[in-house]
Amino acid sequence: MHISIDWIKDFVELPDMDPKDLAVRFTMATCEVEDVLTTGELLNRVKIVEITEIEDHPDSDHLHLVKFTDGKEVKQVVCGAPNVAVGKKVPFAPLGTTFAGGFTLVPKKIRGIMSEGMLCSETELEIGDDDSGLKIFEDSAPLGVSVGEYIGQKSDILLDIDNKSITHRPDLWGHYGMAREFAAVFGNPLKDQFNKEWEAKIKGWMTSEEAPVSISVEPDTCNLGFVGITMDGVTIKPSPRYMQDRLNACGMRPINNIVDISNYVMLELGIPNHIYDRTTIKGDRIIVRPAGEDKEFTTLDEVKRDLIPTDTMVCDAEGPSGIAGIMGGLDSSIADDTTGLFIEVANWKDAEVRRTSTRLGLRTDALQRYEKSLDSQLLERTLLRLVELVKESCPEAVVRGQVVRTNMPDYTPLVIDITTKRICSVLGKEISDDEIVGILKSLDFGVDNSAGSLKVTVPSYRSTKDIECDADIIEEIGRVVGYDNITPAAPLNAVNAVRLSEAKQKSRKILDFMVNRAGALEVMTYPMVGEKLLDQAYWPVKNESLVLANAMSPEASIMRPSLIPSLLQTAALNQKTYSSFRFFELGRSFLEDSKNFSNERYQLGVVSFDKKDSPFLDTANTMEELLNSLNINFRMVPGSSDRNELYPKNWEGIHPYEMLDIQIMGRSRGFVGTIHPLVCRNFKIKGQLVMAVIDLTDFQDQEMKDKTKYKPLDRFPSSLFDCTVVADAHTPVEEVVAVLKKGIKMKELDWVKVVDIFTMSDSQKSVTLRASFKDPGKTLSGEFIREAEDKVVKTLESKGFPLKV
Amino acid sequence: MLQNLEDLKSEFTSALAEVKDRSSLVNLKADYVGKKGKLNDILKTLKDATPEVKKTLGMKSNQLKEFILGEIDKQMTALELSEINEKLKKNWQDITYRSSLRDQGLTAAGYHPVSIIQREIEEIFSSMGFEILDGPYIEDDYHNFEALNIPDTHPARDMQDTFWFQDMKHLLRTHTSCIQARGMETRTPPFKFIGPGKVFRCEATDASHEAAFHQLEGMMVGKDISVANLIYFMKTLLSEIFRKDVNVRLRPGFFPFVEPGFELDIECLICGGDGCSVCKQSGWVELLPCGMVHPNVLKHGGIDPDEYNGFAFGLGLDRLVMMRYGIDDIRHLHSGNLSFVSQFKSY
Repeated sequence: MHISIDWIKDFVELPDMDPKDLAVRFTMATCEVEDVLTTGELLNRVKIVEITEIEDHPDSDHLHLVKFTDGKEVKQVVCGAPNVAVGKKVPFAPLGTTFAGGFTLVPKKIRGIMSEGMLCSETELEIGDDDSGLKIFEDSAPLGVSVGEYIGQKSDILLDIDNKSITHRPDLWGHYGMAREFAAVFGNPLKDQFNKEWEAKIKGWMTSEEAPVSISVEPDTCNLGFVGITMDGVTIKPSPRYMQDRLNACGMRPINNIVDISNYVMLELGIPNHIYDRTTIKGDRIIVRPAGEDKEFTTLDEVKRDLIPTDTMVCDAEGPSGIAGIMGGLDSSIADDTTGLFIEVANWKDAEVRRTSTRLGLRTDALQRYEKSLDSQLLERTLLRLVELVKESCPEAVVRGQVVRTNMPDYTPLVIDITTKRICSVLGKEISDDEIVGILKSLDFGVDNSAGSLKVTVPSYRSTKDIECDADIIEEIGRVVGYDNITPAAPLNAVNAVRLSEAKQKSRKILDFMVNRAGALEVMTYPMVGEKLLDQAYWPVKNESLVLANAMSPEASIMRPSLIPSLLQTAALNQKTYSSFRFFELGRSFLEDSKNFSNERYQLGVVSFDKKDSPFLDTANTMEELLNSLNINFRMVPGSSDRNELYPKNWEGIHPYEMLDIQIMGRSRGFVGTIHPLVCRNFKIKGQLVMAVIDLTDFQDQEMKDKTKYKPLDRFPSSLFDCTVVADAHTPVEEVVAVLKKGIKMKELDWVKVVDIFTMSDSQKSVTLRASFKDPGKTLSGEFIREAEDKVVKTLESKGFPLKV
Repeated sequence: MLQNLEDLKSEFTSALAEVKDRSSLVNLKADYVGKKGKLNDILKTLKDATPEVKKTLGMKSNQLKEFILGEIDKQMTALELSEINEKLKKNWQDITYRSSLRDQGLTAAGYHPVSIIQREIEEIFSSMGFEILDGPYIEDDYHNFEALNIPDTHPARDMQDTFWFQDMKHLLRTHTSCIQARGMETRTPPFKFIGPGKVFRCEATDASHEAAFHQLEGMMVGKDISVANLIYFMKTLLSEIFRKDVNVRLRPGFFPFVEPGFELDIECLICGGDGCSVCKQSGWVELLPCGMVHPNVLKHGGIDPDEYNGFAFGLGLDRLVMMRYGIDDIRHLHSGNLSFVSQFKSY
């Protein structure tokens, strides 16, 4: 929103300072000034000149060489305007002039002849609509004078206010409210322009006759008060220059005196209003009612709008004439021959008009203000200001009857109790009672001070939404004093021992392990996925109750039931670039939950990929190490691939044989598995893809005790024994080892491990085992060792693993 | 006799010079100082000599023996060394053929850049006694809005800002302030905590807008907390984050959950406040919203606003990440593209 400094000066004196500094000070105290602009520069540069000589351009049949004088010197331009004539007074823009739209005149030859600038039309100078030729001034116009000075347009400074920074301040959506802020910030008084005498002057124009237009508000509308008045005998004509300039400066196009007054008052007092051609009001009645049966309405912009029954409409005896708080209709607008007016100033409930506006996709200047919660107490003042300006524009116009009003809400001023001590304590700065009271009064608050205990009466226009409690009063003081004037101070606070939560410790350990030990890259993916991705991953669970109502795209519309589809997608993306990689995500997936709506799962997903060699064992080893490092009791066992808690039953995405189930606290809470070639094919993944997922949710908050205990070092040597046995090609080697681990009950057997595996044929392999024996109290005797070795071999043989010969 | 020993020494010296390998050296040793060696031969002729002569020559011959053994030892070591070196010369690896030169696929390992910055900031807060809290992504209306003093009619509740679920009661949290709301419920003042995490906004994505991004919420509640404390705290925090003294300024900003509410600007780190394109010539860059916790928010958290107060702030993590690394497109952060994350690798 643009705020005109010229306009502000109608209400308050401003200190003589650089506009940029003024803007900074205002930003620090009230709202964000995004930019400082200057208007009228164009018209100050463009001068009135008289054409002295015209020649045809030698290389053109429609261009002329025009010589002219500003009274001091003669210049020449190339000009193609049809109405160019000797003796005419026209506007001349010298080189260097910048026009609206940013085009700047530079030295340039036009068909070989140098042009020293440009003679301009009304539209080029934005002083009228005539673009048929040069603007021709009266013969009496003074030579060499700037067009701005001649037509009385003042240069102005505009503050470009960030609208977002005043969403909570309905009072700042007009110049008068802004002026009050300037008054408070710079300590100058606000001119008491709209006082009782002013009111009396306007009311003096009213008559005792019955108001020609009646108004009523039906139940179930969003109306918060409605006032109106009738005027007759107006003449439609252009507005005075100052008004047009101010409207232009604020981004509104001047139309005619009445429409301009309507807009002007909105920009001045911040309250939208509507002025009807009174002949268009059927039955001389205005009724505010729900749209009900009315299904559509054509707004001023000639667009047909669909209504719903609860929309509030402003109607006459025959039907709607406007959508409340948003936009009027085409039929009721002011025409060139309008003489009778009905002026409406109403207030509407913020949320309801905004809802209608959002639904219609129609945001207007009026709506923008209504949605900020306007003050019904200001309706009448606004109406009087409109009457005043109409009368100023058409002194012959008459007011008919009195102000009509209806549905005006009750109003009790809001009074807030607060102490000056509290204000100082919360701000952390000593401020005198006098200063506090002075600031509040400058902002139009009523203050009753009793030894530092204040009763603060909030102005009606600040209490619609903005100010409701003592903290709001503290803000008023803080911002005017200036937060810059508060000295930073360290808080005095009790000391508590704080430690990271178990879950946080675990997630950090996992992150660190995955990066520093497992050599993986961390990724982040959207927790929302699309149905197509789930289908691609053969994922039957579609989380129907966890679908977004307003997803940006179908690809991110479902809260993911698992990390797995996202990981597959990420693997697919990256295998195009790299022949191998390992990445992980510590992310969330979501289960449907009829009781708590959703069950958020914290999961670790790890992906290893290699074009040639399967990274399965590597990945499994990594997961084993990770869980050990977290001090988690777990088992990792070959699982039945059609069942795991981390994926749906009978999921076809996993390799039927290469799947290890990770069991923690007796339940399967993870797996390591090779992804089925068919799913890889769906994702166009060419290579070996292994995935491991662990669901941390159920144990992440538990403290995992470090059970490490010191043991005395061995004092006697251990004895190793190797033997090679034959096994079936698909017998898991863990089973062979288990034969010894479980089958030999000997306290001297320290450990059994595999040294080597050799494939003998399609059906057989040989496994070389190594067993270690030791006795912590003595060196084992040769005899004992021989017996032990014998037992090893016999045990293996008895379980079907004969010695290889 | 004496002359014989001298001759033997010079004969040995020249013979030693001829030896090129260890076996010849062993033979040489036997030749001169072995039982049947030349030195013993000379000594055998001694048995008829006078005691004085015996004594003198005995000493001399022992010296010679030690000399010979010493020389052979030295030579032996030298030969061994040169033999090993000869082997090493043939047998050494190309020490430049390291992983950095090899295509072994992508071997990089590292944290996501958001994790890096998040951890950094967490550490700063931990060091100042803050807890680190977490919360669900799927929130209810109460914790995302109502508890934070955001009324029913607030535009933030509109469909265009918030991802709603079809029941229209649940939503994806739009800010980490819900962590604040939940944190207050389970704590009694004084306390201080931060809540970092992913948040979601329903808006069209482009290079600087994402539907999923990261915030870090902070809150401190106690007795007599003041705006002066807030400014002090923010200055300390930001000086740690940017690792240099930064100047901050507070200006009024409106957020329903704080009152007074502020926009905190930092003096532009690029131009030092003189004005440049980054700060739009103003010398200041808008960084984070903060303020004194609104009394209604405290009440919703079960805290008496007449007894306690506090401050809260929110930090956009993605923006800090992008500033730190010069990332030009926020959409990379959730792309899962390893070419992107591997740029921030640890290894």
